[in-house]
Amino acid sequence: MEKNIYLVGSGLTPFGEWWGESLRDLMEEAIAAALKSSHLNATEIDMVIVANMLAEVTNNQSGLGALASSLLPHHPPALRVESACGSGALALHTACAFLESKRAKTVLVLGVEKMTDASVDAVSQALMGAADSELDAPSGLTFPGIFGLITRRYMHEFGLTREQLSVVSAVHHRNAHENPFAQFRQKLTPEDVTASPLVSDPLRLFDCSPISDGAAACILSTIHKSPLRIAASQMTSDTLSITERPTIVSFKATREAMSRALKESDIDRSDIKVVETHDCFSIASVINMEDLGFAKQGEGIRIYEDIYAGRTPLFLNNSGGLKACGHPVAATGIKQLIEVGKYLKDTSTQWGLAHNFGGAAASCGIHIMENTNA
Amino acid sequence: MTHSAILGFGAYLPKYRIKISDIARHWEQDPASLLSGLGVEEKSVPGLDEDSFTLAFEAAQLALKTSGIPPSRVSAIFVGSESHPYAVKPTSGMLVSALKLDPFSHAADLEFACKSGTAGMQIVDSFIRSGQINFGFAIGTDTAQSKPGDALEYTAAAGAAAFLLGPDSHKNALCRIDKTLSYTTDTPDFWRAVNEPYPRHAGRFTGEPGYFHHTRETISAVVKEWKIKLPEINHVVFHMPNAKFPMRIAKECGIIKEQMRAGFIVPSIGNTYSACSLIGLVSVLEQAKKDELILVVSYGSGSGCDAFLMTMLKNGKPLPIDEREREYLKYDEYLEHSGMLSS
Amino acid sequence: MNNGAPIIHRSLKRERDRFLPGTVVSFTTLTHPPVRFGHRPRTIGLIELNNGQRVLAPILSENKPFIGQQVRPRMRLSHATADGLRVYEVAYEALAGKAVQLQKFPGYILALTGPSGVGKSTISRTLARVFSEYAENVPILTTRDPKKSDDGEYVYTTPKEFELLRRAGVIVSSTNIPSSTEKRQYGYRSTDIEAIWNKGKLPIVVTEIRLLKGLAHHYGRQSILSFGLLPPGKSKRAKLSALLHRLRTRGRETEAHIRDRMKNAEHDLAFFLERKDLFDHMVVNEDLSSVIASVKEKVPKFSGI
Repeated sequence: MEKNIYLVGSGLTPFGEWWGESLRDLMEEAIAAALKSSHLNATEIDMVIVANMLAEVTNNQSGLGALASSLLPHHPPALRVESACGSGALALHTACAFLESKRAKTVLVLGVEKMTDASVDAVSQALMGAADSELDAPSGLTFPGIFGLITRRYMHEFGLTREQLSVVSAVHHRNAHENPFAQFRQKLTPEDVTASPLVSDPLRLFDCSPISDGAAACILSTIHKSPLRIAASQMTSDTLSITERPTIVSFKATREAMSRALKESDIDRSDIKVVETHDCFSIASVINMEDLGFAKQGEGIRIYEDIYAGRTPLFLNNSGGLKACGHPVAATGIKQLIEVGKYLKDTSTQWGLAHNFGGAAASCGIHIMENTNA
Repeated sequence: MTHSAILGFGAYLPKYRIKISDIARHWEQDPASLLSGLGVEEKSVPGLDEDSFTLAFEAAQLALKTSGIPPSRVSAIFVGSESHPYAVKPTSGMLVSALKLDPFSHAADLEFACKSGTAGMQIVDSFIRSGQINFGFAIGTDTAQSKPGDALEYTAAAGAAAFLLGPDSHKNALCRIDKTLSYTTDTPDFWRAVNEPYPRHAGRFTGEPGYFHHTRETISAVVKEWKIKLPEINHVVFHMPNAKFPMRIAKECGIIKEQMRAGFIVPSIGNTYSACSLIGLVSVLEQAKKDELILVVSYGSGSGCDAFLMTMLKNGKPLPIDEREREYLKYDEYLEHSGMLSS
Repeated sequence: MNNGAPIIHRSLKRERDRFLPGTVVSFTTLTHPPVRFGHRPRTIGLIELNNGQRVLAPILSENKPFIGQQVRPRMRLSHATADGLRVYEVAYEALAGKAVQLQKFPGYILALTGPSGVGKSTISRTLARVFSEYAENVPILTTRDPKKSDDGEYVYTTPKEFELLRRAGVIVSSTNIPSSTEKRQYGYRSTDIEAIWNKGKLPIVVTEIRLLKGLAHHYGRQSILSFGLLPPGKSKRAKLSALLHRLRTRGRETEAHIRDRMKNAEHDLAFFLERKDLFDHMVVNEDLSSVIASVKEKVPKFSGI
């Protein structure tokens, strides 16, 4: 990191089904909350970076940079970035680049998604844009299908059972119970997960993150200070289609991003005490634990089993993760950073990590944050 | 060269069947009398994801394999069907691409009720004999439609047969086409108008003025012009709208059961329309021996007949056995498979 | 979903190239597939075809499929678009039998074919060196005598031994090159190719037309990633003169040999045009590094290097 970049403000809307709110409404709400928490004037924002995946399909809207910019009185320069579900981390990464290059000194980063404006079938098809439109979508596959294939293969290679996998969503729901911004706050037992309807065998309804509306915004600055510093920001890529990979039970993009992020922040994995990881489907979280290096391959579930049993090797997905907090696609990466920052401040912990990816980790963004007061 | 020959052949049937007795029971008709009247026990039904193109593709793939000819050297394909997937957009064109045939191929779709496949064979035979092409495909394929409750429902079936033809001097030539002739009239025994989903037929008029008259005339012409003696033909294949019609005309002409045996496939498959006599021919080619003579007389409503005299140049070889298990459908499943329930 | 005619048209070639048997790597059943596929659950598999390519496609199976199951291709109607265009796909039908282990390395062969003098041996030596961890040259079995200019690419044997190996089916592709000067046999042994696969590496053959045809016939055209190597030059005459120049400067052959080779080369160049179907890519040998770069770009295994 070439410069010290501080998280000086953040805000989000609750995630859920907001029939009465438009894309613009959600953006306004998150921006207002972020500005309020930062105690900055709107005119101190040099640039706006918007993360969004589906607005063209779900809301008939492109030009999101201009739209976001028009919500601020002085219409700062703005742009929109997209890397499917990893758009949030990409937006943060882009902001860091502008801040490091001194093109901007204070950047508003905003992730937003208004998915309920389109039919479930249309949204499901649009989300397949995160996979390969020529190699993956024609077979009729959807994302639950892609991760269903991954789950079955993982179970075959490592012996993971259905009962074990169900612990993941149970943990996420338990966490979300304490999160006022979460879409689903009811507790679930692993038995509830196992009994839920099949979506893409072996994945069940409660293994899958929902369709959600929501927005999350944060303000990063090099001239205004706060105890929360971005110590590392790394983006990596892999093939869009799982058919072009040597293995489907581990994500190269995550492994590479983690290794680079640790190097950039010059810390050890064991220094990280709080993590928000990308659990688009329960199996993803299991694989993430292994790819991030917190568990050996085949043993990722043990972290969840430990947490469910009351031990805490790691503070994981306190927000409830994508499953319970909700997953307005591009807002997630930003929400993750906000959540990590909140935890670091509230508990005087020094190091935290946000892990966000797009598609089947075709793109991955990892941010490591330091609480300099801890 | 003066003759073409069959170098490779293939047939494809879907794995689904429905018993004639189950159809009868649905309509509260007596299964026994239908079985004895038609002589057909069960018929093939296409899968939900099958159509005349996919059936033809599978049959043609098999024919390529048995012929040993690289697909890029095949430069003609004529496909006959009453159920081409499109009214405009040829099955033959789709097959040139899917089978990777020579893009510089002669291709067209044909219709002449159940004899459109054999008409295709006459065309390809001509192209080869004139030296315009080396190798060509003749295919008959159908997912036959029939109105629920109509008599045709008991026999209208689905299947495809494909023949790869080439010069009779080719080392892989299996069966030479010695002669062919056709007989054509305008006879309204069976028809389907452009906007109608199901064909209509004229009941008993389809018998004597239709099938029997045309087949009889053709056989007479064959005997007279080709100077053949019917008892000398080892294998005879007629179009088989049911089991009774071909047996009746055979008896009338003095053709015995043993001559019909190898190609008599209708009792367990039904009438696959454009593929019917061709699938019978496939069955013969699997069993016939070198130097044996084959007579094929197909019939298409509207009406006309195509006749072929063929000679085996080698012993026939059976096709690989279809290892899939047959699945018997109930009447409601059969309706969905026949496309009745599609929106 | 945009399923316009151009998209469907382009999908045809892709589907055609998938008509191969394979093995199930994983599968899932979508309870509610996208609306255009109807109302029933749809089982989709990740299949590894026997040329190493992996595809996503429906699995047709009576009973629940299993990982490692062998499948065969079937042409199927996928769906009809709102405009009435029919979209076809290759689906895979489960075969009876036990599960098989997936090959650690896709069983395909990298073949470089070109007329004599185009620079094949230099290219293959360089490829084997640059990608040594991932690929290895397949030795050519020959009945001719060793020459001083040979560089380890040949394995020498007697005509009798060659014939015995051919009868035993060990030689999967062979040719003899009769010329005015000598008659010699050349071939590839399946044992050499399989040994390289078992090491987890990609076999490279640098070869001529007849040997290429033999390999394609034996292993299936789809198992060969086939590059045609052409000499530089816009016209056929320019190409032939470039070849002649190279053969002369190489100094490896007598003038009589060179005449033979040029005759073969002319025939070979004509062949490239006639049998385009035997080649996946054509590369012009302007200079060594651009050829290596072209090959690297187009070989999936190398692109990560």
